[in-house]
Amino acid sequence: MSERRFVLLMLAPAVLFLGFLVAYPVALLVYNSFFEVELINPSGRIWVGLANYVDALTSKRILETAQRTLRYSVFALCFEFIFGFGAALLFSAIADRSHWHRTIFALPLMISPIVAGLLWRFLLVGDIGILNYGLTALGIIPDPRGINWLSDTDIVIYSVAFADIWLTTSFVALVSYAGLTNIPRDLLEAARIDGANAIKRFWHVTLPLMRPVIAVVVIVRGIDALKTFDLIWIQTQGGPRQASEVFSMNIYQRMVRYGDLGEASASATLFLVFMIVLAGLAYWKIWRTDNG
Amino acid sequence: MADRAPHDFGKTVINAAALLLVLSYALPYVYLVSTSLKPAADVQQIPPSFFPDGVSLENFATVIGTAGLPNAFLNSAIVAILTTLLSLLIAVPAAYVSALYRRRITVLFLLFALVTRMVPAVSLGVPLFQIMKTLGLLDTTIGLVLAHTSTAVPLALLLMSAFFEGVPKELEEAARMDGCTRFGAFLHIILPLMPSGLAISALFSFIASWNEFLFALLLTSQNSKTAPIVIAEFNSVYGLAWGPMTAAAVLYSLPVILVTLLLQKQIVGGLTFGAVKG
Amino acid sequence: MKKTLSCTVAALALMTSAAHAEAITVLVEGGGHSLQQAAADAFTKETGIEVNFVEVPYQGVYDKLSAEIASGTSNYDVATIDVVWNAAFAAHVEDLTDLFTDAVKADIPPALVMDANAGNKMMGMPAWANAEIVFYRKDLWEDPANQTAFKEQFGYDLAPPATWQQWRDMASFFTKDGMYGTVVIGGTSEEWMAEVLQAGSPGVILDDAGNVILDNQAHIDALENYRAPLCLDKSVPDNALEISWGEAQNLFYQGQTAMMKFWAHAYKMTPEDSEITGKVGVAPMIAGSAGIAAIPGPWYNVIPSTSQHKDAARQFISYLVAHNALGIEAPLGLAATNSAYESYMGKPGYEHFGPLMETLSAPATKGRPLSEDYQELVDEAVMPAFQGALECEDNVAELLQDAAATARDILGQ
Repeated sequence: MSERRFVLLMLAPAVLFLGFLVAYPVALLVYNSFFEVELINPSGRIWVGLANYVDALTSKRILETAQRTLRYSVFALCFEFIFGFGAALLFSAIADRSHWHRTIFALPLMISPIVAGLLWRFLLVGDIGILNYGLTALGIIPDPRGINWLSDTDIVIYSVAFADIWLTTSFVALVSYAGLTNIPRDLLEAARIDGANAIKRFWHVTLPLMRPVIAVVVIVRGIDALKTFDLIWIQTQGGPRQASEVFSMNIYQRMVRYGDLGEASASATLFLVFMIVLAGLAYWKIWRTDNG
Repeated sequence: MADRAPHDFGKTVINAAALLLVLSYALPYVYLVSTSLKPAADVQQIPPSFFPDGVSLENFATVIGTAGLPNAFLNSAIVAILTTLLSLLIAVPAAYVSALYRRRITVLFLLFALVTRMVPAVSLGVPLFQIMKTLGLLDTTIGLVLAHTSTAVPLALLLMSAFFEGVPKELEEAARMDGCTRFGAFLHIILPLMPSGLAISALFSFIASWNEFLFALLLTSQNSKTAPIVIAEFNSVYGLAWGPMTAAAVLYSLPVILVTLLLQKQIVGGLTFGAVKG
Repeated sequence: MKKTLSCTVAALALMTSAAHAEAITVLVEGGGHSLQQAAADAFTKETGIEVNFVEVPYQGVYDKLSAEIASGTSNYDVATIDVVWNAAFAAHVEDLTDLFTDAVKADIPPALVMDANAGNKMMGMPAWANAEIVFYRKDLWEDPANQTAFKEQFGYDLAPPATWQQWRDMASFFTKDGMYGTVVIGGTSEEWMAEVLQAGSPGVILDDAGNVILDNQAHIDALENYRAPLCLDKSVPDNALEISWGEAQNLFYQGQTAMMKFWAHAYKMTPEDSEITGKVGVAPMIAGSAGIAAIPGPWYNVIPSTSQHKDAARQFISYLVAHNALGIEAPLGLAATNSAYESYMGKPGYEHFGPLMETLSAPATKGRPLSEDYQELVDEAVMPAFQGALECEDNVAELLQDAAATARDILGQ
């Protein structure tokens, strides 16, 4: 079999599958974005050209939301990565005995997001939020009403990220850990014999070999963070005063709550284009460099 | 002795740090379990207490008595297992060539997979509903498996391709010198070296399906309703049954704990390519 | 009256039951299932038509029904929908005008009939209704020490609050001994909207002609009054913006607040082992200058135009309204018709029905505007102004003027 045919055959199932179940809906999405059309009545549509895009791009609200989404995602991603990668390094340092550590660390993955969102709401919200009682007991804040996590408009966008960080640090940790176990021991051993200390070994051996895994983790988690919707919706519904509203919430509201398929599709398409640009950059910068 | 002391000290610090991290990370889950064991009047006590005053199983009794829940658990398990298998079947070969046969088409393909991951789920729901309706797959296990697979494939694909990146191309060439076909080299030589990547991809495909809500809500109604939908029903407009909801969530997490424990062996079991090459 | 209704249904049933055994599928939320199961069983017994309930979570009712309608065919013959979705579905459901006989109309509070009126048709039949009423701690109100102290401080007798002023007085009075008088809900604006009606506004957000009246005097007065316990009297927890229905209810159950305005169904739902069990009293919603008023929370049975069994569905809906009282034994214990509520009046455990009926039937009680843009108006215009006001700094009139401008922009006025 020729190399070319082999490649195509191996790709075919995935291409067909994703083409049918994802690309077609996406094409529909882009198509809908040029119409004034209601979700409930897709046959009654009026061509409006780029009007939906003009509306979206000139809306101050949408631009604010986009900025907020970026802040949220960077905040969440940083903590997820630091905690997750740190945990993976710790686990690999105690390799053969980290079995239970890793399983316990994966516990958040096992809770359905609706419950997780409510759980975090109840951990943070005034009066019943046990987090503030804990912080009070540790002497960090003077009394349990010290921080209004979900009603202070200055911090709420970060407070709602706690749930996301908690839920997905496990993903970063487990994938990174699996990546670490794939690093050939003899390479590390050789470096040690050459006299490299732990930090040098990490910097010159582990990190370069981990590059593909780190790239995938950062890109996938970055995309998911930008897409976050239900966790925040359950905690605050975007409030107070829209201070925790993120971009996909905007799409959801337009699509489902207002039934405005056209505008929602335009927002979603813009969102998609933005992410493609971002992911393209990430790809050229981190993933490809040493393989290109 | 003098030489070993700092080493032991370092180990102790690492162990303590790992333990602290894991325990603090587990706290919210423990709180969830403890809430599920509280009697109805105490689940949202003011001031809150971390542990229940007295253990009560009334929430679990309510959950087990909820019509349709055992069935929903079963549906969830079937859908999640089928989704995992189908996702790996579709994603692994594609990831393999994307990593080892890098060329323009595979790069484009990976970017395409990435883009499919970016689409907000809410904008996929209605088109998927219509596809499934046309195919007559509404409220069937297969329909939901297809929908879940469409979100699991991109993730499995990206993860697997990252793991395949670590495979030296020479390994495949060596296998083909020994008389393997390209496919044979993939199936018999390289795939068996990837237990950790496979385990991780399987785990996350499984979890993505196990907890998925939106597609399950739209695409199922009676026959193939999954547990996240039934759990969500504890939160009605007339009030949140938080006690039973936590109990259901705890019960629902138990099978995944088992799956994770089982897969942990595979995650560690990754062979080193260096050893193979040598 | 009940009898005449039953007769019509029986006649209808006779006419069609001879045809063949049918089955209808009904899309419901959990509450709608339990409230209608008993009547459905009786209906099947009488007519031979099977009723198959598809139960989904709250949001699923809207999502699934709109997806079905958009796809052009539907598996659902009846859907029980929240009134907030009426406007969205109005163009896609059958006209039920013929089911609103004079007898039916006379038996249903006028505000509920109004909410079904989509201009050119009656789009749905009320299945049950709910409204906010006053919940208070009987033990505290009956305590002689409290009665004396209250009278001394405010110059009138301590009784369940009936007016805006009394509400504020009593909230201040009971803010003592580690307890708050009441709570201000900042997570949702519906309770404030009820006060807008109490202040005499011809509608909330929009008037009957569809003009934006979000910045009229009644809206302003109501918002000032609504935030007074939070901003002036300090008789409520200060984290109002975090508080939604669930938190408000929980504060009351936990003995942290002395009174609350809450949906009537909660009267039957106090946890058995809660410290306030047996100490809860109920009274009608409070009154402003226009008297008692509330925003009802009814659910409607509608027949999607895509239904395949419209006749059977019609029969089922008229049977439900004729046998409306059958739902009262269900855990939520709600109904839509006066006769259903009256049949339980005076029974122990149903003390909330009196205040609920009085509130639902009050002249100023009125539904939300039946606008397709209602949800967008609330999310984009109302909530930012409402939550801004609850930060206690900005001028209420200015906030509402901005909100009204946003609302006009949305509606293209």
